[in-house]
Amino acid sequence: MYDLSSVLDFDALAEVRPGSSILVSGPAMTGKESLAYDILADGARDGDGAVVVTTGDKASSVVDEFRDRVPELQGAQLGVIDCRGEGGSDPEVIDGVSVHQVSSPGDLTGIGIGITKALEGLHDSGRERGRLALVSLSTMLTYTDKKTVFKFCHVLSSRLDAAGYIGVFTIDSGAHDQQTIQVIKQAFDGLIDIREADGGGRQVRVLGLANEPTDWKKI
Amino acid sequence: MSESDPPVVLIVEDEPDVAETYKLWLQGDYEVRMGQNGDEGLELLDETVDVVLLDRMMPGLSGDEVLREIRERDLGCRVAMVTAVEPDFDILEMGFDAYLSKPIRSEQLHDTVTNLLERSEYDSLLQEYYALVEKQATLEATKSSAELAESDQYEKLTEEIVEMREGLDDALGGVEDDDDFIATLRGLSDNEEE
Repeated sequence: MYDLSSVLDFDALAEVRPGSSILVSGPAMTGKESLAYDILADGARDGDGAVVVTTGDKASSVVDEFRDRVPELQGAQLGVIDCRGEGGSDPEVIDGVSVHQVSSPGDLTGIGIGITKALEGLHDSGRERGRLALVSLSTMLTYTDKKTVFKFCHVLSSRLDAAGYIGVFTIDSGAHDQQTIQVIKQAFDGLIDIREADGGGRQVRVLGLANEPTDWKKI
Repeated sequence: MSESDPPVVLIVEDEPDVAETYKLWLQGDYEVRMGQNGDEGLELLDETVDVVLLDRMMPGLSGDEVLREIRERDLGCRVAMVTAVEPDFDILEMGFDAYLSKPIRSEQLHDTVTNLLERSEYDSLLQEYYALVEKQATLEATKSSAELAESDQYEKLTEEIVEMREGLDDALGGVEDDDDFIATLRGLSDNEEE
């Protein structure tokens, strides 16, 4: 089981089954990305592997973020798949972390190959647990249609399930129509829903990971 | 492909004895076509072909060139490359869905073809599953929760989705290993234009 409740204080997150995939949905600027990174960093502190699929941040920024959060991080503990399409296509190593470059956020096979290599690397370094974050599905949706993204999420979830990993995927709820969000949600086991609270701050609730959806809670 | 037609396997292999052997093994379960070289293989290739067994080292067009052409034509078939040497991890990037090292045993050949057909089956189940999910999402986006609670159509859809999801998870055993994962993703990309 994975305990995510130290990152986000909900009972529903205290025992997350290996293989679960969670969608983090919320408007822009509500800390979805930061939450996804926190979940990975929290595991990395306990020795879990971490895989980041990034469509916006440079691979080197992702590595820096993780070094800030987890100073004791070992290079072999993190794998980054950089899909911005701005780097070269060859794999590179940044500060001990293996980085796989993919030509575009719409290159699903390329992303899959990068993830496969990252999982392989973590497995080889003896890590049996791990967490993957994909930031963000909204960028992927601008490169390919929702049907393809849905199917991609489903297949990736199935792969993570086989590996016993947990997956955290972010989506900007304000950037897509209601129907798109409803469709994408169905590819996941659970949902962390974020909204802006009246009078400032944020509220969060968790759906799908326990029997009942939780109430909104201020964070 | 209609329900009653057996899946079509195309063998592209320049050694007649080897090709005949594969055919003997497979013809009980599949419709088998044979091409003696890359050019012939490409001529026999159309959208009815489900699996291609492609010899890598052939005179004329090499297996790699044939594969490139298959991907360019955007056909939905799965390709197993037959090689004399065990390929390294980089095979994932080469665009084929499985590989077989010579010499091949009958059981191994059957397993590979079955596995590749299962991937295609997974794709089409996923396709059906998506269609249901999309219908459900449309209802959810346009009706109130009170209306949904009273809708028989919504209830039936929800049941079908649960059933379909179990089918996807169980019947095909999920996406177990790296080859399966990449082959399945490759299938998704191939269908993007639909």
